Amino acid sequence: MERIFQTYALCATAVAAVLACTTLRLRLARRRAPWHEALRLRYLRCVVHALLEGYGLPQPAAKRTQVRLLLAETIAGVTAATYGPDTGVLRRIVAAYALDELLLRRIRRSRGYRRAYYLSLLAMLPADGSAARRAEHYGRGNRSVRFYALLLRLTNDPSRSIRLIADYPTPLTLFEIGEIVALLRRGALPVAYGPLVASHNRNLRALGLAIVRRFGIEEAEQALLRIVDREPADELTREALFTLCTLRRPLTRRAVTRRIAAMDRTERRTLLRRMAFEGYAAGALRRVIDAEERPYYEALVASYKRYLPCSVRDF
Amino acid sequence: MHRVLIVSDERFLQRLVGFALTGLDAEVHYAEGADEAERRCRRTLFDLILVLEVAPFLSGRNLIGRVRPAGLRRPAVYVLTWQQAEQTVLSLLECGVDQYLTFPVSLARLRSKVAEELGRT
Repeated sequence: MERIFQTYALCATAVAAVLACTTLRLRLARRRAPWHEALRLRYLRCVVHALLEGYGLPQPAAKRTQVRLLLAETIAGVTAATYGPDTGVLRRIVAAYALDELLLRRIRRSRGYRRAYYLSLLAMLPADGSAARRAEHYGRGNRSVRFYALLLRLTNDPSRSIRLIADYPTPLTLFEIGEIVALLRRGALPVAYGPLVASHNRNLRALGLAIVRRFGIEEAEQALLRIVDREPADELTREALFTLCTLRRPLTRRAVTRRIAAMDRTERRTLLRRMAFEGYAAGALRRVIDAEERPYYEALVASYKRYLPCSVRDF
Repeated sequence: MHRVLIVSDERFLQRLVGFALTGLDAEVHYAEGADEAERRCRRTLFDLILVLEVAPFLSGRNLIGRVRPAGLRRPAVYVLTWQQAEQTVLSLLECGVDQYLTFPVSLARLRSKVAEELGRT
């Protein structure tokens, strides 16, 4: 009995110690936060000025690891929100504080999502190709690590982007494709949609469709109709239909109506929600929507109208 | 000196845009959200308001009507967001927004647009 009591007391003490440590760590982190925030803003000001002036290094000099990491995060944030920045200036900052070396070391020593985070930071820095080569073997890690290792290679060697995406062993998710399209929007990845949409590789075609959607490329309509008409019913055919919707092309062609009619109820409803979001009128979809689905679609149209930004007098 | 108000609850983006406007002969003010922007606009007449999100316009209230005094074309309102949907852009322009820009943005281009807008006043 005494032994049980001793074990219980030991466990309780251990739990209390763990909780106390966690609380202390949280309190310290909270106390440090304003200091970090102030330094982050200071570095942001320096980086933006350096970009606008074409020269300059962030001050105070980043010597401690935490401060250098903060600077790397700041540069990554600026790169993500801007396009056409002077990469020469950013490269000089990265080299002056050896930020790529720091991130590579962190990547080597961490695991899982933390490693993926450092890889994503490194992908945003204008580092030289050696960093990407040294991070190449992380393509065998968990899903996030694998993807951000791919992103790093894409940003460091855009000329091989199609080959790299084609060889990527896992089907890219919509989120991952969104990250690649964000690179395109920043002008960091020069690829044309045509060969991607025509490709038989799943990842390349999904990326091609995403580019068509994102940039509203209406010239791709014929290629989309070919996919809808000839390809077997799968995820990519559905995506081609969604892309036609996003482009607001007529959906009454025979190939399209046949494909929609073959969809099951859940898929049809998902597509109807997309159509309503894109502003298709119920009347224009007479051949697509049957009498049973019409009230559902009209209700959708009415609800989406309410979510458009508008002033009080419009209600 | 011109007055510019930057509205965003994301401090990093708010300051990124604010720092990009340095040296434009403009006094840059910051507001965390639509409520604070309204309060500041009641006290000060700004030349330009940069809203870095669409959310303030989705609440159903007439934000432009509240920040822009009746009969005036000032302050000019620019919206700069990650959203690109055509319907959102069109309905914001119909609301009275003067310019719609999307992230990622070129700092030099943003700077020249703001300088041009301030030069008109």
